[in-house]
Amino acid sequence: MDLRERIEKSTEFIRENSGFEPEIGIVLGTGLGSLADYIDKVSSIDYADIPEFPVSTVFGHEGRLILGRLEGKRVIAMQGRFHYYEGYSMQEVTIPVRVMKKLGIKLLVASNACGGLNPNFEAGDIMIITDHINFMGTNPLIGPNLEEFGPRFPDMSQVYDKELVELLEKIAASQGIRVHKGVYGAVSGPNYSTKAELSMMIKLGADTVGMSTVPEAIAARHCGLKVAGVSCITDMAIPDTMTAPTHEEIVKVAESVKPRFVSLVKQFIKEVQL
Amino acid sequence: MKENLLSVINEARDYLIESAGAAPEAALILGSGLGDLAEEAENKRIVEYKEIPGFPVSTVQGHKGRLIFGTMGGKRVVFMQGRFHFYEGYNMKEVAFPIWVFNSLGVKKLIVTNAAGGINTSFKPGDLMIIKDHINYTGNNPLMGPNLEAFGPRFPDMSAAYSKELTEIIKECAASEDIKLQEGTYIFLTGPSYETPAEIRAFRTLGADAVGMSTVPEVLAANHCGIKTAGISCITNMAAGIMDTPLNHREVMETADRVKESFSRLIKSVIERI
Repeated sequence: MDLRERIEKSTEFIRENSGFEPEIGIVLGTGLGSLADYIDKVSSIDYADIPEFPVSTVFGHEGRLILGRLEGKRVIAMQGRFHYYEGYSMQEVTIPVRVMKKLGIKLLVASNACGGLNPNFEAGDIMIITDHINFMGTNPLIGPNLEEFGPRFPDMSQVYDKELVELLEKIAASQGIRVHKGVYGAVSGPNYSTKAELSMMIKLGADTVGMSTVPEAIAARHCGLKVAGVSCITDMAIPDTMTAPTHEEIVKVAESVKPRFVSLVKQFIKEVQL
Repeated sequence: MKENLLSVINEARDYLIESAGAAPEAALILGSGLGDLAEEAENKRIVEYKEIPGFPVSTVQGHKGRLIFGTMGGKRVVFMQGRFHFYEGYNMKEVAFPIWVFNSLGVKKLIVTNAAGGINTSFKPGDLMIIKDHINYTGNNPLMGPNLEAFGPRFPDMSAAYSKELTEIIKECAASEDIKLQEGTYIFLTGPSYETPAEIRAFRTLGADAVGMSTVPEVLAANHCGIKTAGISCITNMAAGIMDTPLNHREVMETADRVKESFSRLIKSVIERI
């Protein structure tokens, strides 16, 4: 089945099962799924039940869509996302973004857990993404262009909306949450980067490194969605001082960031103008 | 697919145990010019790649494609004569496949050799470089896809992909054999085209000392399953743009030939020590 039909089939199923038209899509990264607990649920759909939807395999990811109201806005939240390293194609990784676009969202809020490369950061900090570098060596838009979604050559000069970055900063300040702004470097994984690779990414201007978000952000911009990105820095990955992270530690730090993340994103959803 | 890959690995393992009584403790991947070293092993059992169920088959004409099991320096060793390169059209899992089979056979240590181009201008053709780290610049990775949990974790650490312990042994052996050793970071590209001078300048900025088209897939797979790994590059030529004259393949071969004797001597003394 071609990509267009898969998107169509998934969209129809979700629309019929929820009878709900979301305006904001939220992708919940590793350890951050609990934001969904605050959603006044209209519908909850397991990925496994959605025709033509990929199925999540990673520990710590739950694998369902939650549709409902959050802070007065109609939202659709992804608890669990698809990663390129799991073996999905980049097209599959971005099916959910395109499905959410078809369901009616205008804004995508993407979150992730990532490693810190900027010496001013600390594990447990939050970074508002201002830009990204795609080190994945591939791109979800390769292949025939889906004209109904967007242009063959989409602009990426302002992926992460400036006004939304400012709004997030303002809210963080008013809530007393320490945040940074910075550039997210996306690698394929699944192995953690070597020190030589980390040094390279630091030289090239990356402030954090992770294995997600960029495919979704590219697909979202392609189809004209506004994008906001929030990273939880779960470990520091500066070559000279780093210790090897474990997935368990990362999940643990993400857990400690969660209350601040939830508070920041909830208020953001409340205040954001669509 | 996961079960499938594992069963193919096990089938290859069983064949090698039955046909060659294979029980190696260490594996050596012999790069260009070093293949003859395996001939010096005792109690040799030779198995052609094409006989081994599930093994990829070498396509390069004139390249040997076989495993040699034997003893050297009192160690039970398996030598790979001829390796699989991504540029030949194999996928990354095929390139890494022999490592998984070695792991299943009980291999605990791996030494990888290759021919590489020198990026660091203090290197000279004929130098041997111990690999201290690598940069995977291919955008591809043998560990993508369902994780082989029996072999290693979903997100393996690569902050010390090249074993300190093995590296120290190699340095000591080189010193006692009076062989000069350089040390540096190996950057892995797909090839098969050689790099442009602009690319080489970029890679130097990124922290690379030598460039080549092999080794990293095997090292990623070996680290994932806990095999201690060391790598040595033979700098057969200076990379594009460093010398005034264009790359000359005859000179590359001559360099490899000139170094062969000391390279083999080094590897043999390392095997005795590990």
